[in-house]
Amino acid sequence: MSLELLLIIAFGGAFLTYLLGKLSSGVRNFFAVFISCALAAIVAYLYGKPSEETFYLGFLGLPLLLRLNMLSWFFAIAIAVVGALSIIFSLSYMKGREKTDFYYLMMLLVNAGMLGIVLSGDLVSFYIFWEIMSWSAFLLISYNRGPALAAGMKYIIMSIVGSVAMLIGMLSLYANYGTLSISEVAPFVASASSGYILFILIVFSIAFGIKNAVLPFHTWLPDAHSEAPSPFSAVLSGILVRMGMYGFLLFFFVIVGSKLFLGLGRDNFHYILAWIGAINIVIPTFIAMLQNDSKRLLAWHGVGQGGYMVLGVALGTSLGVTGGTFHIVNHPSYIALLFLVVGAVEYRTKGIRDLNSLGGLIKRMPITFIGALVGACGLIGLPLTNGFVSKWLIYKSLILQGHPFLAFAALIGTWGTILSLYKFLHNMFLGQLPEKYRNVEKAPFNMQFPIIILSLIIILFGILPGIPLKVINSITTSFGLESLNINIWGIASETGALNTINIFAAILAVGLIVWLIFRAGPKAAPIAQDDNYAAGAYVPKEKYHYTVDFYNPLYRMISPYLRDFIDEFYMKLARGTQKLCGGIRHVYTGDVGHYVMYIVLFLASLIFVQIKWGIW
Amino acid sequence: MVNPVLLIAVPLGLAFAIPLFGFISQKLEKYIPPVAMLFNLIVSLSLIPKVLEQPIVVSIGGFPPPFCINLVAGPVGVLFSAIIALVGFLVSIYALDYIKEGATEKYHMLYLLLLTGATGVVLTGDIFNLFVFFEILCISSYALVAYLGNRAGIESAVKYLIQGAIGSSLVLIGVALLYGLFGTLNMADIARNIDSVSPISVFVPLVLLITGLGIEGAIFPLNAWLPDAHSSAPSSISAILSGIAIEVGIYAVARVIFTVFGASSIFLFLVLLGLLTLLVGEMSAFSQKNIKRLLAYSSIGQIGLIVFALGIATSYGVVGGLFQIISHSLSKALLFLAVGYMIYRTGSMDISTLDGMGKRMPFTSLAFTIGAFSLVGLPPFVGFPSKFLIVRAALAKEEVLFTVLIALVLLGTVIEGAYFFRVIQTLYFKGKRVSPNKREEAPIAALIPIGILMILIIVIGVYPRLVTDILNSAASELLNRIGYIKGVLG
Repeated sequence: MSLELLLIIAFGGAFLTYLLGKLSSGVRNFFAVFISCALAAIVAYLYGKPSEETFYLGFLGLPLLLRLNMLSWFFAIAIAVVGALSIIFSLSYMKGREKTDFYYLMMLLVNAGMLGIVLSGDLVSFYIFWEIMSWSAFLLISYNRGPALAAGMKYIIMSIVGSVAMLIGMLSLYANYGTLSISEVAPFVASASSGYILFILIVFSIAFGIKNAVLPFHTWLPDAHSEAPSPFSAVLSGILVRMGMYGFLLFFFVIVGSKLFLGLGRDNFHYILAWIGAINIVIPTFIAMLQNDSKRLLAWHGVGQGGYMVLGVALGTSLGVTGGTFHIVNHPSYIALLFLVVGAVEYRTKGIRDLNSLGGLIKRMPITFIGALVGACGLIGLPLTNGFVSKWLIYKSLILQGHPFLAFAALIGTWGTILSLYKFLHNMFLGQLPEKYRNVEKAPFNMQFPIIILSLIIILFGILPGIPLKVINSITTSFGLESLNINIWGIASETGALNTINIFAAILAVGLIVWLIFRAGPKAAPIAQDDNYAAGAYVPKEKYHYTVDFYNPLYRMISPYLRDFIDEFYMKLARGTQKLCGGIRHVYTGDVGHYVMYIVLFLASLIFVQIKWGIW
Repeated sequence: MVNPVLLIAVPLGLAFAIPLFGFISQKLEKYIPPVAMLFNLIVSLSLIPKVLEQPIVVSIGGFPPPFCINLVAGPVGVLFSAIIALVGFLVSIYALDYIKEGATEKYHMLYLLLLTGATGVVLTGDIFNLFVFFEILCISSYALVAYLGNRAGIESAVKYLIQGAIGSSLVLIGVALLYGLFGTLNMADIARNIDSVSPISVFVPLVLLITGLGIEGAIFPLNAWLPDAHSSAPSSISAILSGIAIEVGIYAVARVIFTVFGASSIFLFLVLLGLLTLLVGEMSAFSQKNIKRLLAYSSIGQIGLIVFALGIATSYGVVGGLFQIISHSLSKALLFLAVGYMIYRTGSMDISTLDGMGKRMPFTSLAFTIGAFSLVGLPPFVGFPSKFLIVRAALAKEEVLFTVLIALVLLGTVIEGAYFFRVIQTLYFKGKRVSPNKREEAPIAALIPIGILMILIIVIGVYPRLVTDILNSAASELLNRIGYIKGVLG
């Protein structure tokens, strides 16, 4: 199966889906699911079959290449699986909404664009697919109208800035070395001066940092994630944003090479990057805690979790890179899961995302709650979930490298994650069920299915992390990093062994003991809510909702420090630009006398300059 | 071999024949421009393989150059005449249905004259002849801007006329000075002798020509007529003015600077002028509320980009600039054509009235989206390879100055992206949901040219090598003066 065919299926399938939608929506839905699942199957089949092929000769004199290796396969499978699950989820989420043909077209186009990015063997095709992904994502973010328009604008402007940076970096490489094939350009870069490498890395870091929402380029993300349709938020936060991480890995370890990368700027470049990652963990995670919109809360976690990845990858040790890379693929599993959970709740409660007005849905939507619980555990990084393993690797490498402050920052981030996800779980599913949601039904099957699958993935990779770690290990060794001793239960090495089966056994044992204790004790009796509750004061049954203003004292304490100064700065900049533009426009006064004066002045000044300085 | 003279003679003859055809049938006249332009398109395309080998020089009157008026159908000339014919043909089909009221007979005649003038400018090898064709182009466009006969149209046509007339007189003085200096009007002959006189005495004609031609070429600060004229003309004429007329102006400026004067010391000035034009154009477009003015300002920005690229004056740069001319012609023509019927349906040029157009006119909205994406330079549309080449040309200079300049140019792209994406959002996502059965698509005569332009934008965007051959030899014609002089004078 050639890679070219894979992309033809991906892009052709997207457009065919749109055309089929004109015939009947049932056929279209079936076909969209079919295409996205077929892509996942093909990518899975391509495991361990590295290849490189030229799919287009002579685009402005450049051959465009596709290549598959472990790194690209690893990302491709994540893309394909998340894409397929979110398409399945969309079937009911999008039912009865407008422009569904367009929606499916764009979902599949984003998917195809991302596959193209990771399969590109040269930087031009990388850029082309990157742009296709960017503009189709823009159209999807704007889909919900209203506030989504502003979110879309914010996204696309930052995205264009990023691609401008990428274009400059890419064409600078081209102008210097005459080739853009990744494998050919790498040796040239390896022998370039360190100043030039730094320039290239900084330019590309802007591009990838914007997509990956690294501070200070993160401001588009919270708006875009919360305003997009939920299945697309899952794709956006889960995998599209992580294309930036793919770019980082590609440039740091494949093009520049790990040794050069670590030594850059007198060893400081990667260290600064690690600190950016650490700051990126702490601040967004605590901002997430203050959010009352469930999707916005998750969106900020999307930013925060990106910090862990940057931190791990920037360390540049095998443990760190392994942890960072594993975190990249873990992230889509739980963040997509949580976005889908929000989507399911939104679907059943007719679009409610406000955490203060939900509650008690555990009784109505149990499967969704289990999904949320697993996802939250994964995001926090509790043992037996995959998030634990990747975070453990990152912590371990931080401690081994002797970075206590970075490790502490990562730890603080986890506290924030716990607090905010507790709020998320509690305000949506626990507590009192508001009267108006008394009759909410459980999510339809095609919403539960992706939720269940993702939950299973989280737990499976949590208990058997060796499966993905083996793939990641072959990626990191291809980067020229030391190989780790991987077994199916984790990592066996002198410096730090990880054995999930012990943890599993321990948790099982503790759980058993707790269960036995509860068994032995007296049975709990359920009592009515107004029975001896709230110190005997009367509790109004409908209005009372004690989850409103969760963490209010904490909020009062920290909120002055957690304003998004950067976003404010950008908004000021945007307003300033707008004013400036409005001012510039008045050059064209509308008075023809002025216009004639411009012409005369232009002519006169040219002649004056020549006479005075004799330029020509 | 087809004689390139026919490229001018046929449309010119047909233009004046339109009133005569009017005696036979009133319906016939509107079919004349498409026929003439189709003829030009076929002839231009068939000439391409020949001119890639060597330019075709036609002497009129039988005397050898420099004693006659001659046409030089080199790669540049044929490239431009093909673009003019293509866009002219498509827009004339659009006009079949679009132009219904007013003096339609005069419209079609002036339209054809405008295109004849443009074709003449790009093919002539004689500088006075260039001035004459330029006047044909300008005078017909003054009249066409005022075609709708409303206050805005007439006012902006008069403004355009005043500035254009100043430009023409500057050009005329410049030509006269050159004639006085060299005793010849043949461009190749002037170019051959340009070094024989003192630099200061050729400097004055040079700046006169740059200023005069730059007015039509819409270089800042000479372009103040453009936003008014382009926005108040009928949309088909806006498409021609934006897609062809200003490009022809830029061609004339480039021909004068590159070939006639060989003024390599002002290239950096040209680069800076291009950058300034670009930034002013894009920034003025940013806060526009009138859709046609927005497109007009965006044309200024694009012209700035073209001038910037030409000013780099390496073969990469000139190829990039010429490619940008192609991509701007196609994309901007498409945008104006698409907007034409949107305005017709809503009765207003205000961007905010365009909401829900995605449902009302899905095909036209799609066309607008593709045109806008292409102008912003997104792949896989034609704007991407052209922008790619320009950025490469600037970076291939390997000077810090050019890296900074190209960063500023791309900043202009960001602004451009911002306002185009805002319009696209308005088309598809703004306002309340409209009921789906409220469809008012443009008529078929408009959809055909729109569709062809869309296909061309995508096809050339995906296969840029369709045009790179002619672009490469066109760039070498512009950069290689000696070759041009030898080719014409033997």
